[in-house]
Amino acid sequence: MFKFPRDLYVDVRIEDSVDTEIRFKQRTLQGQKVRQTKGALIRVFDGRRWYYASTTDLDSIQAQINSLAQMAEPNPHILEHPVVKAFEANRETLLRYKRNSVTDVSLEEKQSLVESILRKIADPAVVNHSSYYVDNRTVKSFYSSRGAALTFDRQICGMRFHLDIVWGDNKDQTSVSRAATTFEELKGFKEYFLEEMCKDISYVRDAEPVVPGEYQVLLSPEATGVFTHESFGHKSESDFMVGDETMKAEWALGKRIGGDLLTIIDDSTELGAGYTPFDDEGTKGRKTEIISGGILTGRLHSTPTAVALGEEPTGNARAVSFEYEPIVRMTTTYIAKGDRPLKDILAEMDEGIFVDTIKHGSGMSTFTIAPARAYKIEGGKIAKPVKIAVITGNVFTTLQEVDAVSQEFRVVSPVGGGCGKMEQYPLPVGFGGPYTRVRKLQVQ
Amino acid sequence: MKQEFLTIRTKETAVRVQGSDIAAVRVKDITKKGVRVYQDGTIGIAGSVGDTPDAVLLENAQQNLSAGIAYPYPLTENLKDHRCYNPKPMSSQEVVEQAEQVLRVLREEYSDFTFSESISCQEGTFQMRSSAGLDLEYKDSYFAVNLILKEKATANLFDGALFCIARNFDADKFWSFNRAFLEAYRNKVELPKEEVMPVFMWQTDTLLHFLGRSLHGERFARGSSLLSGRLGEQLFSEKVTIELNRDPQTTGRPFFDTEGVVLPNDRLAVVEKGKLIKVLTDKRTADAYGLEHTGAALGDYDDLPSIDGPLGSSLSFRTDSANMKEALQGRPAILSIIASGGEFTADGSFATPVQIAFLFDGERIIGKLPEFAIRSNLFKMLGEDYIGTFDNTNFYFGDIATQLQGYYMTIVR
Repeated sequence: MFKFPRDLYVDVRIEDSVDTEIRFKQRTLQGQKVRQTKGALIRVFDGRRWYYASTTDLDSIQAQINSLAQMAEPNPHILEHPVVKAFEANRETLLRYKRNSVTDVSLEEKQSLVESILRKIADPAVVNHSSYYVDNRTVKSFYSSRGAALTFDRQICGMRFHLDIVWGDNKDQTSVSRAATTFEELKGFKEYFLEEMCKDISYVRDAEPVVPGEYQVLLSPEATGVFTHESFGHKSESDFMVGDETMKAEWALGKRIGGDLLTIIDDSTELGAGYTPFDDEGTKGRKTEIISGGILTGRLHSTPTAVALGEEPTGNARAVSFEYEPIVRMTTTYIAKGDRPLKDILAEMDEGIFVDTIKHGSGMSTFTIAPARAYKIEGGKIAKPVKIAVITGNVFTTLQEVDAVSQEFRVVSPVGGGCGKMEQYPLPVGFGGPYTRVRKLQVQ
Repeated sequence: MKQEFLTIRTKETAVRVQGSDIAAVRVKDITKKGVRVYQDGTIGIAGSVGDTPDAVLLENAQQNLSAGIAYPYPLTENLKDHRCYNPKPMSSQEVVEQAEQVLRVLREEYSDFTFSESISCQEGTFQMRSSAGLDLEYKDSYFAVNLILKEKATANLFDGALFCIARNFDADKFWSFNRAFLEAYRNKVELPKEEVMPVFMWQTDTLLHFLGRSLHGERFARGSSLLSGRLGEQLFSEKVTIELNRDPQTTGRPFFDTEGVVLPNDRLAVVEKGKLIKVLTDKRTADAYGLEHTGAALGDYDDLPSIDGPLGSSLSFRTDSANMKEALQGRPAILSIIASGGEFTADGSFATPVQIAFLFDGERIIGKLPEFAIRSNLFKMLGEDYIGTFDNTNFYFGDIATQLQGYYMTIVR
């Protein structure tokens, strides 16, 4: 298909994606767009440096390969380079969504689904609302001079409703969203949207400012997902560790990170926003147990980081689009479920905070969770709603503070937004887990 | 049928840095195009990534008219304004050479740190043209150093950052400032014991996002904004003026909104001397709620324009104070460089961790502080606890004008 130059490693990733976006302001249609994007990223490696070119002119790929090859220094031993040797050369076609593609659903049907929910928003406390339906199907092809030849797809669709809620002096903007991998699945969530909107309306009516301080915190599966992603997920991305002896010592495999009840998994085969059957270096996706029973047992790798650390690639080399090169990223990351019912865990809490939904999170040495809906826990029961700006904890110590995980479990795919890592934002990821209790976190 | 054409072309050469050395070179040249057509009070839009012929996009936009999306507002017409803010962008070769020079110094003189991320040059051309005589073009180019810094002795993901965005990179100023900056990283100091301290923020994104949501014309009119019903009221200190800022000299973004509106002198005050005088509106919101049109439309190249409120991306504070050292009157202060992940509650309470901060005397950086958190409230920050907004003349973050904003805040250890 392409003529790869001798004495260099070359790979080509071609992305063909179709995005649909239908927007409403209250019940009035405000936008209906279908955007098709075709682009490619070409990588050339001479054993010393990488050279990348991104283009939307697919007819110019061969010219781009040749141009990058001019910048590189031919290396007769390139096939013996440990990174090149470690690249998988998979050859497969895996079009999971060919027969239930969102591109085959009419715009009218997508619009009608949103309208069916909009018709039911009638509470006078909702003084304004806007909403959107989005979907994306991307077909990726990957070819390398090592012999890889892949074609595979991924798909996601979802809806988000923004509500402006006013109860006297209490006012807030909230949002409810849910994603699915097929349109049929999304159609089944109508009641979910309406129930969540009712919770938002009550929350805005009754929420009082929290008294800042240190609290025992119970996290919902959604909040657990963000907590896991921010408090530990980014630490497991091994590009931070390459060439850094302090980091390698701090995060040595076999080290105890949390209690026996704590198992954290990154699973790129999980369907949803993080589904990555092959990563952007052509490595097959897999389930990676990062923490098993509190012990650090794995980390997330691209092929270069795996070679640098003497470990195996895990299929976590991902790029946010054809405009960027792959770097180490999470896929779908979650805490494994426990064996205790939520009601028992809650009953043990005399006083604490329950984080139900979240606005955003971030993770450096201190991770943050900005809750959207949160509640006081009093006498083993979820009590009055509270307004919280941010919850924070230390990434080095907080996993040790996890003291209960429930048997109830859910993985979610966000609609809009995604994970950011330096310039590459937003990358679709999945996250979730059980209801998780943390002994102490700073609440402000 | 009137037609509008939006074209964005982005060219980039980025040197990817790992372990204080060049790991990769990336070149990019991406064109994005949007076309709008107007007929009988409706709008049809089409877009593409790639240099798709206008005729193809026009046909798609005409098909999109069948969605019946109303847009009965007067278009901006007969306005030509072409501006170029940097006619001499760096070549790819110059970017690589400049990166090699910067990294050589960092490797040789600061081997106790490792540096990663990117050094790049970005060129952008934004065009908006129409069949009714609209012809706007903004061209610009920047050399950007975005390096995250990690102390080799710590297990943190990162411990700091070096930033610079410059149309004309001045290596002497870069090193003069960053040598002092890196020395300050080496000098660890304790957080003073005061419960309330003056805090100067270099980035005010979280505050501007919250103000953008609160100044959003539709939310204001519907009663869901914190500021609803308060037009004409004195909200903040008399020193505070908040503007819709479309001056590319300070923003690095186009001087027109996505409805082709150009502001007089590229700025429009919405809060003047602490008093709320206007809110953010696009043409639709101004018409629907009888509000003054303020030229605050935002949207992607193939979106229906909507209000630039939620991100607060076009808001900025007018500089109102000149001398930080005098304002401090000898008190120690905090200079916050990265305070990420914080948030405001609906009633204006604010809290954020401060990941990277320095002890500061109003002129010089004294030493690096440990992590802590800060807490306040919108009306206190811009009211009784407001110190001022200052031009940043102390620290070289490039030749795009930046500011430092100070307030007294509660310190949470």
